Amino acid sequence: MKSAAPILTPSRLRDLTMATAAYILPVVFVLLPLATFFVYSFFSVQGVQLVRDPTLLNYRRFFADEIYLPVFLKTCRLCLEVAGLTILFGYPVAYLLAVLRGRKKYVLLLLLLVPLLMSYIIKIYAIRSILGGTGFLNRFLLWTGVIDEPSMLFVYNLNAVLLTLSVLLLPFAILPIFLSLERIPRRLLEASSDLGGSGWQTFRMVTLPLSLPGVIAAASFVFVLALGDFLTPQMVGGQSGFTFGRIIYSQFGAAFNWPFGAALSAILAVVVMLAIVIGARFGNRAAARGSSL
Amino acid sequence: MIASRGAMVLLACLTGFVFLLLYGPLLLPIVSSLFTVKQGLVQWDQPTLQAYGTLAANEGILEALRNTFMVGISAVILSLVLGTALAFYVNSGESPGRQFLQFLIFLPFLLPPIIIGLSLLIFFREIAFPRSLVTIIIGHTVFVLALVYRIVLVRLQALSRSLVEASFDLGASGWQTFRLVLLPNLTGALAGAAVLAFALSFDETLITILVTGTQNTLPIRLWAMMRLGFTPDINALVTLILAFTTALCLLAARYLTPRELLAEES
Repeated sequence: MKSAAPILTPSRLRDLTMATAAYILPVVFVLLPLATFFVYSFFSVQGVQLVRDPTLLNYRRFFADEIYLPVFLKTCRLCLEVAGLTILFGYPVAYLLAVLRGRKKYVLLLLLLVPLLMSYIIKIYAIRSILGGTGFLNRFLLWTGVIDEPSMLFVYNLNAVLLTLSVLLLPFAILPIFLSLERIPRRLLEASSDLGGSGWQTFRMVTLPLSLPGVIAAASFVFVLALGDFLTPQMVGGQSGFTFGRIIYSQFGAAFNWPFGAALSAILAVVVMLAIVIGARFGNRAAARGSSL
Repeated sequence: MIASRGAMVLLACLTGFVFLLLYGPLLLPIVSSLFTVKQGLVQWDQPTLQAYGTLAANEGILEALRNTFMVGISAVILSLVLGTALAFYVNSGESPGRQFLQFLIFLPFLLPPIIIGLSLLIFFREIAFPRSLVTIIIGHTVFVLALVYRIVLVRLQALSRSLVEASFDLGASGWQTFRLVLLPNLTGALAGAAVLAFALSFDETLITILVTGTQNTLPIRLWAMMRLGFTPDINALVTLILAFTTALCLLAARYLTPRELLAEES
């Protein structure tokens, strides 16, 4: 490459045009909105009037007010529980998927992907009709005689949110775990059984540790998706199932305090970024340790 | 991966349970749309299509359906053109700041929809752009772009570089190479990406609900209907949408290998 080349040769000009064209859209429709939203979080509202003087008031309110921080922490805990549940149920499915070969594997994979594309709203609606006070689950439990009167344990509360989110996000946990199981070299498993390891020993000492990157990726994935959801808690949460997403959403509707809503979302974004970075970092480290075996 | 016979049985049982969790809830609306339900009990001997008739007469639903298709098709076309162009640009080697560009493209897919929706909402208000179907189309395009981009990029990278070099050696221009060599190789990926993008747009609710104006898409309409309670025509609508999305999934699966479908997750 000649360093003395003139800066604007025709091809240079073309490259520059292409680069500009490639950047315009993502910058205008992704970066600018996010920047605007961030700037907004430092504004305030007086009556119905937006005040454009930068202030930290919104952030202070989040920490000072005794409503927001507890709800936020409660929501984070809920989302961690969702992540835990989905991994508990998703892992065996991912394992079976990794064991199967040929057509069976493909069909099972497809069956797991189909619910991902099925209408979110419909799934919430369907699950709600199962969980409700006169819902299918209660009637089933009554019919089998497990309970004598309809249980209110999972009707319009945080438990209902937990169950619904777990069912909705299960496929998102299965896929990353499946991918990490697929990446485990077969010869490692053969070596383990050649050395006399039983099936369980091989699983516990070889497969499980090597699939950890997938488990961590799955956890961070599910956690992020659960944290950002506001429709599910709105639909099945009822009065007591108040989550952080719902609070944010209400700032843009009933409360009409956009700057405060933006600040709350910014806090959410920070935690989400953190979860993604932790997921990627730990996932990579576990993967690196695995490949050095 | 290996598993003993006993372990296989256990795994199959657990998987069966998970499938019950995933698909079971969906059976309820389907059954209750086809049979009469009295006091919460399905009358298996009384099949009826009445709910579907009520649905066909519902003007609001039909309008929402039209909007949904308009948004979906626009978002698919836009994201296909942009996603392909961006994938080519990033794949061309010397593009400056491609890591950053890629990061920007993926952001709407990584960040929770509530944040993307809110930022677009605030942005549109700041530039005094009225909320309409156009704002929904922009929201959907930004959201599905990452998927299309990723699928095209994976297929592009799988193509051998020597194909392009051979084409150039034989005297083809850049455009000819794109049209005669690369595009035919990408058809499957593009078709699959288009179907997936449409399916995602068809179902997108979280971003849409924030950037929508007075014209609503089907999920938003459905959401509004559900808050009022359960009626047979909701179940009929739900059944039809489920049938449609399942068909879309099967169509997408025909064009894409599992590896390409999963590439976006890793």
